[in-house]
Amino acid sequence: MSQVEKKAGLLRRTSSSKKPLKEKVVLMYDEIFAKEDPAKNNPRFWDELFLMKVNLEYLETKLECLDGDELMKTKDNVNSLFHHCVQTLAEEHQIKVVNALQTLCALFRGVHQKNKSASGFDIINMLMGFDKAEHRMKDLMESLDSLLCGEGSESLKALCLKLLLCLVTVTDNISQNTILEYVMINSIFEAVLQILSDVSSRGRHGYDAVVLLALLVNYRKYESVNPYIVKLSILDDEPTLDVSADLSYRFLQYKDKEEENQGGFFSTLTSMVGSMFIADAEEKLSVQTNEAILLALYEAVHLNRNFITVLAQSHPEIDIPTTPTTPVPTTPTTPLGTTPPSTDVMNSSELPLDPNLQTSNLLITFLKYSSIVMQDTKDEHRLNSARLCLIILTCIAEDQYADAFLHDDNMNFRVNLHRMPMRHRKKAAEKNVPSRPLVCAVLDLMVEFVVTHMMKDFPMDLYMRCVQVIHKLICYQKKCRIRLHYTWRELWSALINLLKFLLSNETVLLAKHNIFHLALLVVNLFNMFITYGDTFLPTSNSYDELYYEIVRMHQVFDNLYCMVLRVSTNAGQWKEPASKVTHSLVNVRAIINHFNPKIESYAAVNHISQLSEDQVLEVVRSNYDTLTLKLQDGLDQYERYSEQPKEAAFFKDLVRSISLNVRKNVSLNTLSQDILLKEFSTIS
Amino acid sequence: MGDVELEQSVAQTEEPQQHTPSTASSVSISSSPSHSLPSSPSSGPYHHHQPTSSTPSPTHSDGPAIPSPSLGVISEGVTELTLVIDPEVAKKACQEVLQKVKLLKGEGEGSGFEGGCGPDPTLANGTVHNKPTDPVSVGGGGIIKPQKIHEEEDPESLTPGSVKSARRRQRHNPSKQSWLLRLFESKLFDVSMAISYLHNSKEPGVQAYIGNRLFSFRHEEVDFYLPQLLNMYIHMDEDVGDAIKPYVVHRCRQSISFSLQCAWLLGAYSSDMHISTQRHSRGTKLRKLIFSDELKPAGLRARRPPALTPFCPLPNATPALHGHGVGGEHGLSPTKRTHQRSKSDATVSISLSSNLKRTASNPKVESSQDEDLSSSSESLECENHDCKTGTPVRLTPQRDFIKSLMGIGKRLATLPTKEQKTQRLISELSLLNHKLPARVWLPTSAFDHHVVRVPHTQAVVLNSKDKAPYLIYVEVLECEDFETSSVPVRISETRIRSTRSVENLPDCGITADQRAVSFSTVPNYDDDNEAWSVDDIGELQVELPEIHTNSCDNISQFSVDSITSLDSKEPIFIAAGDIRRRLSEQLAHTPTTFRRDPEDPSAMALKEPWQEKVQRIREGSPYGHIPTWRLLSVIVKCGDDLRQELLASQVLQQLQVIWEQERVPIWIKPYKILVISSDSGMIEPIVNAVSIHQVKKQSQMPLLDYFLQEHGTHTTEAFLTAQRNFVQSCAGYCLICYLLQVKDRHNGNILLDADGHIIHIDFGFILSSSPRNLGFETSAFKLTSEFVDVMGGLDGDMFNYYKMLMLQGLIAARKHMDKVIQIVEIMQQGSQLPCFHGSSTIRSLKERFHMSLTEEQLQVLVEQMVDGSMRSITTKLYDGFQYLTNGIM
Repeated sequence: MSQVEKKAGLLRRTSSSKKPLKEKVVLMYDEIFAKEDPAKNNPRFWDELFLMKVNLEYLETKLECLDGDELMKTKDNVNSLFHHCVQTLAEEHQIKVVNALQTLCALFRGVHQKNKSASGFDIINMLMGFDKAEHRMKDLMESLDSLLCGEGSESLKALCLKLLLCLVTVTDNISQNTILEYVMINSIFEAVLQILSDVSSRGRHGYDAVVLLALLVNYRKYESVNPYIVKLSILDDEPTLDVSADLSYRFLQYKDKEEENQGGFFSTLTSMVGSMFIADAEEKLSVQTNEAILLALYEAVHLNRNFITVLAQSHPEIDIPTTPTTPVPTTPTTPLGTTPPSTDVMNSSELPLDPNLQTSNLLITFLKYSSIVMQDTKDEHRLNSARLCLIILTCIAEDQYADAFLHDDNMNFRVNLHRMPMRHRKKAAEKNVPSRPLVCAVLDLMVEFVVTHMMKDFPMDLYMRCVQVIHKLICYQKKCRIRLHYTWRELWSALINLLKFLLSNETVLLAKHNIFHLALLVVNLFNMFITYGDTFLPTSNSYDELYYEIVRMHQVFDNLYCMVLRVSTNAGQWKEPASKVTHSLVNVRAIINHFNPKIESYAAVNHISQLSEDQVLEVVRSNYDTLTLKLQDGLDQYERYSEQPKEAAFFKDLVRSISLNVRKNVSLNTLSQDILLKEFSTIS
Repeated sequence: MGDVELEQSVAQTEEPQQHTPSTASSVSISSSPSHSLPSSPSSGPYHHHQPTSSTPSPTHSDGPAIPSPSLGVISEGVTELTLVIDPEVAKKACQEVLQKVKLLKGEGEGSGFEGGCGPDPTLANGTVHNKPTDPVSVGGGGIIKPQKIHEEEDPESLTPGSVKSARRRQRHNPSKQSWLLRLFESKLFDVSMAISYLHNSKEPGVQAYIGNRLFSFRHEEVDFYLPQLLNMYIHMDEDVGDAIKPYVVHRCRQSISFSLQCAWLLGAYSSDMHISTQRHSRGTKLRKLIFSDELKPAGLRARRPPALTPFCPLPNATPALHGHGVGGEHGLSPTKRTHQRSKSDATVSISLSSNLKRTASNPKVESSQDEDLSSSSESLECENHDCKTGTPVRLTPQRDFIKSLMGIGKRLATLPTKEQKTQRLISELSLLNHKLPARVWLPTSAFDHHVVRVPHTQAVVLNSKDKAPYLIYVEVLECEDFETSSVPVRISETRIRSTRSVENLPDCGITADQRAVSFSTVPNYDDDNEAWSVDDIGELQVELPEIHTNSCDNISQFSVDSITSLDSKEPIFIAAGDIRRRLSEQLAHTPTTFRRDPEDPSAMALKEPWQEKVQRIREGSPYGHIPTWRLLSVIVKCGDDLRQELLASQVLQQLQVIWEQERVPIWIKPYKILVISSDSGMIEPIVNAVSIHQVKKQSQMPLLDYFLQEHGTHTTEAFLTAQRNFVQSCAGYCLICYLLQVKDRHNGNILLDADGHIIHIDFGFILSSSPRNLGFETSAFKLTSEFVDVMGGLDGDMFNYYKMLMLQGLIAARKHMDKVIQIVEIMQQGSQLPCFHGSSTIRSLKERFHMSLTEEQLQVLVEQMVDGSMRSITTKLYDGFQYLTNGIM
């Protein structure tokens, strides 16, 4: 409230000091906020109003600073203003349309600003009047729809999207924005999709459109039937592809930026202040904007199963929107002169010929992006982004089609993941990543995450998701008998190290997390390899290596067993989860207990103090037959991802933060629309 | 036989003049030549009976072996056209022709029959032979069409032609004529002879006669010699050109495919001319004419000639060809049928497309999508109605399609590594997919189809050092006639899954079948409405649950907690050894797939059995559920001259026919070559075959061991069959390598198919050319000890069988030497190809047939060659050289 007063005071001061200089539009606003009908004396009042340049600031502040009663008194006039705004949208005169759009922006914002605490119905009443609200909003949405789909100017379309964004983000919690109920009834989904499906408009408005969709989908998504969710989920044709192309384009942009940073970061690495710098440099990026895009990507992946196919669609890394293909019809007699897009794909033969051009697809871009995001999870936005990335990966890993693509032996890619510089790790010559099925990159990414986040402020949630992604991928491989040529050893040692970390930080971690759950997942991953290794391991040697690795690191498993045994015998909250881990360790312990004595005796017999790897493998190979394992049920089962109820809170917060951010940017943008307006007036 | 003919032709070069009156008329009027020739003075009286008999077959059974015409097909074409041609025009044309004939008669002194016959002979002739799809059946229609050609293309040729021939007529010598005439009339006179006379005879009359006679051969017979015909057209004198042109133009009018093929070949074979002459050459002009698409069918489209590809006979071609003579009245009912058919096709396509559109989620998206659809398909598709209206874009879609394939090849060549090439290829092809389906087809295929999709992820770059040939698989929908059948509607990639589920629904399966029925056979009833409704229900059934499964994502099926339940009552025990054993067993059981090798991406793709690949791709394709779905493959070569390949392929085909005819069980596999220009083209890949290099590199074992591994032990039937196949193919290719002097025979150029056949590919070095002239490969052919091992060793029966086959093959080939030589000889005309380097190419080729040797001597020769090749140090040297320089094992 104090803020409002301050603004009011400010207004009073300016209005008093600059009284003679008041613009005409301001005078007209004042007239509206007087009690009388402004059109009474001047029948052309509304016509004139929309010819004036909008003073957003004044209008908004005026709305804000009026107190409740005063505002109620001017309700009829405000209703009338709103009504005329909507009417004007249908007019030919573009300046008027622009002004009307801006006025609407101001109205929505001002009234909400005013009524932060008040219930939504007041706002609707204030703006449109209860009785007419439905009608007005229908008209408004229809006008916007036709403006967006029409042949009109691009700036106008941009402004429409801004208005919609403004409307969608006026409340912090999108679900409390009751006006959106009308947006649900009068869907603009198709209009937005049309924007996205057109190459040129996608370039201009793609970002806004995508964010708008992402937000609209999140309107009361758990409580009611959101038509946007339904529509997005059944969307099954080319436009999806375009949405994806747009997303990918966005990602590419951010990635490029990040890569620049990365370059800078590599160079500073030599000056030994590397790690400090990443945080610094990346701060400059608007993480929040990426959040919105990530959310959109998530919704697409999560809601629409056709979208998965699009994810995998490969295209050369060409900046689509920036190189507007100018179709030059080679044959002068094309059947229908109105089909330039067709010729240009044909002529895409004339695409820039860059031998270094790497083929890419959205999935690759996403993986690269994730690798950057996951590097640093210190602040909350980053943590959220990383979480969202992992959630998207979870959805992907669960999808049969996506898995099929990830494992397709014909589709090999070179994915350069960004790796965190670490002291004990050499900055490998990673430029020579072999080109492999994409699933290898996903596994690499997961391994990388596991290795790099063992810190005091343990991101337990992310670890859980990460291990689950690995588990889901292995389940798929087991089911489809895919023998991936992957260096599983890296994964094994990463996982063992993780267990080691959990053990050594037991006390700290237990205070905050249920580490047994994670430990159980990890041990069960090993159990997958032990019991079902025959179905998906690439060579018989790799099975030996698994045993070697377990035997070599037996201490970790021994300690883990001691720990869980201790906890499970004590009464306490961790009793049950710990005892689960003890049971899951059955086979691992069997292996250790079986082979350790054999190896020791082998060493004793041959008088070798330190056995080489080959020797151990030899012992392993010759002693399989006397080892019996216990078959564990359900190793290849997993809980399918579901947004509700577990993730609901996360997404609520995410949407809120995105809303706030978008609102901030939109307001800035609408103000700068003035420039645009000028350009407009010269055109028309 | 060949000998005799040859001598005859030489001896009689002066003779045919006797017939110039008639030939002259055929040149100028270009009607009915075939029978004016036979009706020489001696046969004059006989001839008088003919005019009255408008039905050809009884009197003129002497033409080429004509199967009895099938009425249905014939009348289809005829009646369709009778509708088109204005009787007035026809009448007028008839009168013109008559006048010209009279004129000639007045001039000419000999051959009284012409005067006697007056208008009638032409009439009779027109109907009796030639011009299979000739528009007007009875009323002098035979005349109209060719005349038009002349009037349109080179009207001025009329007069000089007739003047010239009139002059020649003076010198004719009637007495000897009958020999040649009887030959030409005889059943034995086939395309091969026709081509040979066309090439050897310097007499314009004979040439013109043969030019007309071409009309009477089956399309695919002539198509085989298309390269020869066109090369003669380009490089030989005017008379030959004039003789050939009407036929070519006529065929171009009928078929898009033929038009394009001609244009491409013309371009390719003109390319050796000097640039200045080339620009004004006949070939270039004709090429331009074809590309300008002025040769579209006059009026309504004629029934499309069935020959799609030159070398594959289509069953329905034959009857159609000869049926034209039957009167139009026969055609009435079938016409109705055709008409109906096209109509129902159209409606089917409508129902199909609307079906698809309906599923789109909302009207607005739908409309925009429609625009996309139409715009994306238009450029290639050129719309359905164009085939009716004959808009100028008749050839454009296919040309664009080929152009873009070539464009990809060019761009790939700039990329340094195979990996980058492969990736780029895949992404480029996925772009290409946006333009499909369209009215485009693969010219190497044997049936009519429309290309609907390129499964881009399956494409591979082939091994080549600096060029970037690549292999693509192409999904097509077979159709009745690619020019008239409607182009399939685009199904989005993203619909894969729903279409699959549609397939599962029983009633939808039926609709698919019904759809197929209405496409392929003649539907007399309209089941479209039915298809509509059923399909819609299907879509609903599919779409609805989709929404459900998507929106309710909160079904948790399993909870992790229950997994390692504490209370698993009776633990099941498994032996670790078993797991390990199963692993190694399973790994051992899949040895026949090749490992993926980034340096040789094609090896794995080619090793996969074709049927499995088809199945796999079909499952992944949105079009896979359509019954007419087929998978084709093609190698796109950009930057390579395939003219020699084409030549070799022709020789191989000819030899194959000869061996078959002579019952020599030699097995060879000629593959289709499409020459698009002098540096680009397409090749039909051989399925289920990998190169011996790939076999050896992947399996790391001698060839015999590989055979044993793939087919079983020595005594198994599978092995014995494979071994026999190997021997039969080896004999064939050894002979071919010897006869054609095929060089560059390293193991990368020899394929081994799944049945054990070897197949030689890459005929880049034949006849007079050899790689870099290093003098390697001096032996007659390549026969390594590994090959001999597979054949069972030097003393084995199979090895003797091999030598025997060689001998038989050589004897058979020798018998028909002329047919082989002729193919090569004609192509030498005006050619700069390296295989014709030097002057002795043809002579040496002839010598290699060893006409003078007795069969005993030939046997000794074969023994010598086999012996020499086996012991040849140069073969080993060359393999070693290839291993060192190119890494080919």
